Formats: sequence, structure tokens, C-alpha cells
Amino acid sequence: MIDNQNHFEKIYREFHLLVFNVALNYLQNTEDAEEVTQDVFVKIYNSLNNFNQKSSHKTWIYRITINQCLDFLKQKNSQKRFFIFGKKSQNEQEYLNTSTFEHPGILLENQEDAALLFAVFNTLTENQKTAFLLSKLDGLSNPEIAEIMQLSISSVESLIFRAKASLQQKLAEKFNHYRKKK
Amino acid sequence: MEKENWISTILNSINGITKVSPSDDLFFKIQNKIKRNNVSPKTVWLVAASIAILVLLNFTLLATKTKESSTTTTTYLENTLNQSNQIYQ
Repeated sequence: MIDNQNHFEKIYREFHLLVFNVALNYLQNTEDAEEVTQDVFVKIYNSLNNFNQKSSHKTWIYRITINQCLDFLKQKNSQKRFFIFGKKSQNEQEYLNTSTFEHPGILLENQEDAALLFAVFNTLTENQKTAFLLSKLDGLSNPEIAEIMQLSISSVESLIFRAKASLQQKLAEKFNHYRKKK
Repeated sequence: MEKENWISTILNSINGITKVSPSDDLFFKIQNKIKRNNVSPKTVWLVAASIAILVLLNFTLLATKTKESSTTTTTYLENTLNQSNQIYQ
């Protein structure tokens, strides 16, 4: 029991920044990211004995975090839909597109541009968003992302390529709006 | 050209992003959540047994009350009946 507790504390010290930052990039809200971080570590604690050594702790924790973020978003979205009496939005994550999230880890002079980019991130599909965030913000290699997402390396490459193309296209659409504002 | 530059600026705005630390009490919150979630099977059985006893007591009490009230009504009827069978005085 004490051994388990010590092991858990060690895992928390080693991975709490990773979990919190992945959740923050994904959910774009500090309170939500803290809530998901709590849930992730409760899950880790409960399945610590069942963890098989086939994958590394890091890969396993990444997987739990991403799944927890996706569940959280789905739950939040369904609650929002229930509140407007079941009216389904055209895009599942439409509500996040209007995000004005200011990431605390981004330089002050880049905050406005980054907020726009984070809003456009939410228009990507789940897999594209996951692959792009892990590659661009966490700096993971394609084989590492492939292991986490349980996909082939070529699939990950394709996801990242399509994510970049989609982001460029959506930003091009936003450019006209930006020019009018100027 | 202006458009490409703008898109590139937006895409590069997240370069040099730094890791953010969660609040200091996060670990304590997690430990509390673990404690709350880990209710021992013994407690679960104790609660279930208490509820069962409570329901049983309620049924017993209700059954006794119903029996008592029907006995009282019968006794009252017996007392008020004319027991002499004499219709004319």
C-alpha cells in the first residue's frame, strides 16, 4: 500500500506538467485542465497495478490524458446542447471556435495571434487536432505520436499534413475579416 | 504575399511556448478525490444492511398498526350491537 503510494507520488512528480499542459492545450481553459488532470491521476492510481509494461509510462499517460480530454469535451458539449433543449450545432465543437483563450505559456506579444490559432485548432477533426498538438506543442516525433494514437507512422504524417493544410485554409478565410477590421 | 506572411505569423505565434504549472494544491485535491472514490466494500455492505433493516422495521410497524386498527373497529361494533335480540321493549 505504502509502496503503491510512493510509486504514485513519483509518477505525479514526473508527469503532472505533461498531463496539465496537454489538457490545457486541448481544452483551452485552466480550470477544465485542472479538473481533467485530477481525473487522469485518479485513473492512473486505480490502474497502477494493472499497468502492463508493453508501453512506457509516458505513452500510457499520454493516452489516458487525451481520452480524458475527449470525454470531457463530449460531456461539456452534450450538457450545452441539453441546455438549449437539444438543438444540435452543425459542428460538434462550434462553441469552442469563438475561443479567446490566452495561453499563460505564450509570450505576451503573441497572445492575440495565438488566441486566433487556438480557435482555429478547434475546427480540426479529433485525430488531426491530437496529432498536430502533440507534434507542434509537445514536440513529439511521428513514431512517438503513432505509438500514443495507436496508428501507423504514415497515418500520423498524413494527419499532420492535412491539419496544416486545413489550418492554412481556415486562416486564409479569416484573413479577409482581419483586413476589414484593420 | 501579405496573406501568406500573416498566416505564417499566426502559425508561428505558438513557437517558444513554455510549460505551465498547475496550482500547488492539485496533488492534495487528487488525493482527496482518490479517498472519496475508494469506499471500502465493508462500508457499502453496512449501508445496504442499514437500509434493509429500516425497510423491514417500517413494514413491521405498518402491519402492526393495520392489525390494531381492524381489531378496534370490530370491538366497537360488538359493543354497540343489541345483544338481547329484543326488538320491542
